[in-house]
Amino acid sequence: MASTVASEYSNEVKNVPIEHQFNPYSDNGGTILGIAGEDFAVIAGDTRNTTDYSINSRYQPKVFDCGDNILFSANGFSADGDALVKRFQNSLKWYHFDHNDKKLSLKSAARNIQHLLYGKRFFPYYVHTIIAGLDEEGKGAVFSFDPVGSYERSQCIAGGAGASIIMPFLDNQVDFKNQYVPGSHGTERRKAQYLTVDEVIKLVRDAFTSATERHIHVGDGLEILIATKDGVRTEYFPLKRD
Amino acid sequence: MQAIAERYSNQSALVKELQYDNEEGLSNDFVNGRSQFSHLAPHIALPPISTPQEFLRAHTDDSQNPDCKIKIAHGTTTLAFRFQGGIVVAVDSRATAGSWIASQTVKKVIEINPFLLGTLAGGAADCQYWETWLGAQCRLHELKEKERISVAAASKILSNLTYQYKGAGLSMGTMICGYTKKEGPTIYYVDSDGSRLKGDLFCVGSGQTFAYGVLDSNYRWDLTVEEALYLGKRSILAAAHRDAYSGGSVNLYHVTESGWVFHGNFDVDTLFWEIKAKEGSFNNVVG
Amino acid sequence: MSDPSSINGGVVVAMVGKDCVAIACDLRLGSQSLGVANNFEKIFHYGHVFLGLSGLATDVTTLSEVFRYKTNLYKLKEERHIEPETFTQLVSSTLYEKRFGPYFTGPVVAGINSKTGKPYIAGFDLIGCIDEAKDFVVSGTASDQLFGMCESLYEPGLEPEDLFETISQALLNAVDRDAISGWGAAVYIITKDKVVKRYLKTRQD
Repeated sequence: MASTVASEYSNEVKNVPIEHQFNPYSDNGGTILGIAGEDFAVIAGDTRNTTDYSINSRYQPKVFDCGDNILFSANGFSADGDALVKRFQNSLKWYHFDHNDKKLSLKSAARNIQHLLYGKRFFPYYVHTIIAGLDEEGKGAVFSFDPVGSYERSQCIAGGAGASIIMPFLDNQVDFKNQYVPGSHGTERRKAQYLTVDEVIKLVRDAFTSATERHIHVGDGLEILIATKDGVRTEYFPLKRD
Repeated sequence: MQAIAERYSNQSALVKELQYDNEEGLSNDFVNGRSQFSHLAPHIALPPISTPQEFLRAHTDDSQNPDCKIKIAHGTTTLAFRFQGGIVVAVDSRATAGSWIASQTVKKVIEINPFLLGTLAGGAADCQYWETWLGAQCRLHELKEKERISVAAASKILSNLTYQYKGAGLSMGTMICGYTKKEGPTIYYVDSDGSRLKGDLFCVGSGQTFAYGVLDSNYRWDLTVEEALYLGKRSILAAAHRDAYSGGSVNLYHVTESGWVFHGNFDVDTLFWEIKAKEGSFNNVVG
Repeated sequence: MSDPSSINGGVVVAMVGKDCVAIACDLRLGSQSLGVANNFEKIFHYGHVFLGLSGLATDVTTLSEVFRYKTNLYKLKEERHIEPETFTQLVSSTLYEKRFGPYFTGPVVAGINSKTGKPYIAGFDLIGCIDEAKDFVVSGTASDQLFGMCESLYEPGLEPEDLFETISQALLNAVDRDAISGWGAAVYIITKDKVVKRYLKTRQD
């Protein structure tokens, strides 16, 4: 199909074919980050929502407490993210109805989410998903998913627009990658050890201030959800709004 | 009246006997026939357009469209070979999206059951999902037939599945490795084109050529178990070194008549320097 | 992946410390996924001025020779070595000459002005836009990762030894998240009267 397209210069009126493509996706920016401690786990996310260079909202939370001590966040295209959270919460509710209010374990939640994501393998949810909570032994656990449902348990993971900015920092400061015991002349690696909640929150805040500084789709506010055996707690810190 | 109604309904005796409304209700509750093999597969949604394949490619294939939004994890080196002492399976653990390293700790061997292993190359989700599904199918087979499924049958369930989905955009290259009494140690290569090949030695993934280089020049049937495990590890290391999209760590498995045994996770960082010092190899690297 | 600036892979980073600057690069040269060489240094020096070039390898080599030629002529004419600030302008104008058929590189300049003793660093885009930073500049295929590391590890006024540790950790952890960078690294710590070059032991995958 050909159509007349006028640019702002009237002498540049051209007759060109217009291409049509089905594009149901957009990118709403934002970053999320999950870290597992010994007896707790956190998911942090910024609260900015964007399309292109516009800020749609400075406070649009995207990390959720879904009940059963499960933290959930799906970052990327926020409509898909919201749909996925809703579907998971619904699935959790039915699980409670069908199984006499039995608590859904985190690893079962992870498998359930894999099925939700893979169910749309040929029309994917455009999201990077992270869930966190406590495992069956009460140890902190984080699971991360790609858009079509491959998943993996890890100690720490970042997702979304600022993932490439944050992740190497986390490798260095949480897993102590490339760190050696002083005086060992690069022969003895620094041993991985669990961090305390306070240390984790410090690292998360540093990670997000860095990402905010260098990424236009990250900023405004930082919301951290912390899951412990006593339940879920939320903390909020402002980020730069420029 | 009842007699007339019955004359016009064409339900089978079995449906009537078991007091089901129709055939579908019956077959939903009792697994009978081939159609039920895909019973655990959910309904997979399709985009509401005429060419879902093109849609999927436009949005997910980063080789076709570098700025595509949905990047699916790729890049791998996996290998498996048969020898006198069973099967050795070795894989790397890196997942990449473009040049970004999404993970260095991926589990690319899927433990289908205590006697069957599947390797993972290509789309991470495709392999993970369908190989767990395969595990369920194998268990159903066991319950129905009262014996463990053969490697041939297990791999064929998967290849039938990939053939059904041919052209839809699945991406997987996998080796189904196992041991049964009647087959002995067996490897089948199954991929998303629908190929299914039996063989003694396979390397799959972006680093396959590097792994073949080491494996082919040192492989013998009468390798000892220790030698075979080392060769598997060494081949993956070679690929991890040269191929940008392979690396992280090496995972090693040995399959015997009593099932598979895990032989450890080796971080390439330490493994590389250790083997370089021991063998005096990798002389392209100083330090 | 036919983008010229990410065929060969590689990164460069520079930082300012207290009366010192540091500049570092990885050593990989690849052809897409294939690692070809692990001794491809991306840092060159012209007198006391250091230039790091990431990007398309052929342009890295060509440009490094163009600048050797130009700085030699400068030395002949002026009877002194070129200063970092002056060299930065030279880089900018050289790149802009090729505005519509550019060299696919991301240059980084680092050095200490021999007159004033002031540490100086600058970065450029591929057509010569100058980015005069007071803290750090990054370039190459792992630039996102480097931004994250530098932004969180860097602090102003570091002594040479601390600056070395900071820039090394920044580089190492950044390239470990990039498939087409790494395979060795070189770090220069530049003070008024001394330059120390160190090679880092890195992952080999």
